[in-house]
Amino acid sequence: MKNDNKRNGLIINILSLIGFIIFWHVLVALAREQIFNIPFMRLKDVPTPIETWYALVGSMFTRTYGPGLTYGIINHIEASLVRVIQGSALAFIIGVPVGIGIGYSRLIHNILNPIIEIVRNMPPMAWIPLAIFILVSGGSIFIVFIGVVFPIIINTIYGVRSTDSRLIDAARMLGASQAQIVTKVIIPSAFPSIIAGLRIGFGVGWMAIVAAEMVIRSPVGLGYFIWNMGDLGRYAEMVAGMIVIGVIGYFMNISIVLLQKRVIKWVD
Amino acid sequence: MKTLANIILVVIVTALVAGCVDENKTPDQPINLVKMGGQDMVQRLGAGEIDGFIGWEPYPAIAITKGYGKALIYSGDIWDEHPCCVVAYDHDWYKQTENADEILNRMALVQLRSVEYINNAKESSSPDHDDLINYSMVFGGMTDREAAELSLKDVAFVYSPNIPGTEKFISKIMDFNIFDSNKWNQSGYVNASDYANNLITNRYVNWALLNREKDLKSLALKEPATVRYGYLVNDVHELPFYVGWQKGWFTDVGINITLSEGTPFQNGAFQMQKGFKTNAVDIGSLGIPPVIIHRINSNDFAIDDARVGVISGMNNEGSVIVVANNITSLADLKGKTVGFPGPGTIQHVLFLMAAEEAGVKVSY
Repeated sequence: MKNDNKRNGLIINILSLIGFIIFWHVLVALAREQIFNIPFMRLKDVPTPIETWYALVGSMFTRTYGPGLTYGIINHIEASLVRVIQGSALAFIIGVPVGIGIGYSRLIHNILNPIIEIVRNMPPMAWIPLAIFILVSGGSIFIVFIGVVFPIIINTIYGVRSTDSRLIDAARMLGASQAQIVTKVIIPSAFPSIIAGLRIGFGVGWMAIVAAEMVIRSPVGLGYFIWNMGDLGRYAEMVAGMIVIGVIGYFMNISIVLLQKRVIKWVD
Repeated sequence: MKTLANIILVVIVTALVAGCVDENKTPDQPINLVKMGGQDMVQRLGAGEIDGFIGWEPYPAIAITKGYGKALIYSGDIWDEHPCCVVAYDHDWYKQTENADEILNRMALVQLRSVEYINNAKESSSPDHDDLINYSMVFGGMTDREAAELSLKDVAFVYSPNIPGTEKFISKIMDFNIFDSNKWNQSGYVNASDYANNLITNRYVNWALLNREKDLKSLALKEPATVRYGYLVNDVHELPFYVGWQKGWFTDVGINITLSEGTPFQNGAFQMQKGFKTNAVDIGSLGIPPVIIHRINSNDFAIDDARVGVISGMNNEGSVIVVANNITSLADLKGKTVGFPGPGTIQHVLFLMAAEEAGVKVSY
């Protein structure tokens, strides 16, 4: 019964995707034949799914034309992913200790919380102009860091504060030191929440990297690719790049969920 | 706790490996071309964020007079008399305007008159020199007189369209795979020459040459016509339009210039996509590269909405590779970052030509 439900769900998922692709194609075809258009939109300029597919395949790999290397989508994906991983790793390394400190210590909470409450409400994109001016390089990584670090801090604080006080009391009665209480009780208890923060942060970081690459220019990156293709009127390649971003974001989310299930075995 | 330690270890190792992968991406050390606007080029060279740029006037002149860098190669030394900016009209406007040919004749005549004025006034002994410098400063957004003087020196203002140069440019664009191949096939052009000759006409400049000595007012349209004009922001290459406008020569021939929505445009691609294609611009000045590219790539061939025609030149040459003061050759730029206005621009093509000549690879 459970397997049947799962299979039916999968079939509906696939049919939904196919339906969306057909809807997209029909909408563009009707606009091109001047049968139907949504007011204030130039739907006829939108590439069809088939054109987008060919554009994706055609721009997948790096090619050389004369002295110029034209990076393929694979290189752009790699560059964007590397930046997201670097920014997220930095956010994890800084965000987790800060979150534990704020969650566990009233003093640290009183010192850092007002600053974090203000800064976390500034969207990562608002940092882009500042990143351009204050950083000689690594501006995009910095924007990812800003996007990822606050969800990690907030979730870590929540995780620390949700630790069952009976577990802490029991550890204390058994003679555990403060450090042991933190490392043996609080961190394992907060870990699912920390990973949830990383998952949220990764999503924000992935969105932020695309915006950052459009503004903080580098020769390679998916944001840069989309912007360039738009400038050249290569709309099929541009939409292909957008779809790649969506697909990678989806798989990143799935990967973290799987990681969560694999490493946190003490939580259902 | 072991799990957490393992995860932190994996995170750190991943970050380090990712960093190494990024560092080793360019083993053959090409020059990294990074797209940016003209103002950005100057500021980022001054801040040391880039090691050079290839830009159009006035940005090279501004960077040089501020002491941020020096001219390494003038575009005329890469490609003698290469085409650059032109005057173009929207084909939809042409079809809907009864006396479009009469208007275009007079637009070409004002262009001719302005170019002749500028070329005379460029001489420092000319009585019009001060006025010309003032026009350049206002139109080019410059505050430094020295920069304005310098910005005019390497620009060859012209009125005749450069058809052989355009053919060569189209061939380069094809070599660099910038056209959408499906759209190119739809266009029906058989080669670069066919396309260039379809895009550009000399008929209006020929009419202007026949009437060059006549008083402008004697050639005024019977009924004044209003033209929505589009141009690029601070582009000294388009100075002939500004001179003609300020001198009142368009009014003399019966043309009321109104600036189109979106003017001044940030770049030619934007002017083609948001100006000509949407019928917001009737006539405008912009680089020949966006005209060539977007007439193919952004065009809906069922209705030819991005179709434009070129009636006259604006300038040839007028771009410069500007580099930090410690750079002495293109080879010195290997592994370094250089600003450029974007793929498919004349500056992009010129830089690729210079790199090919110097045996240097370029990534972008």
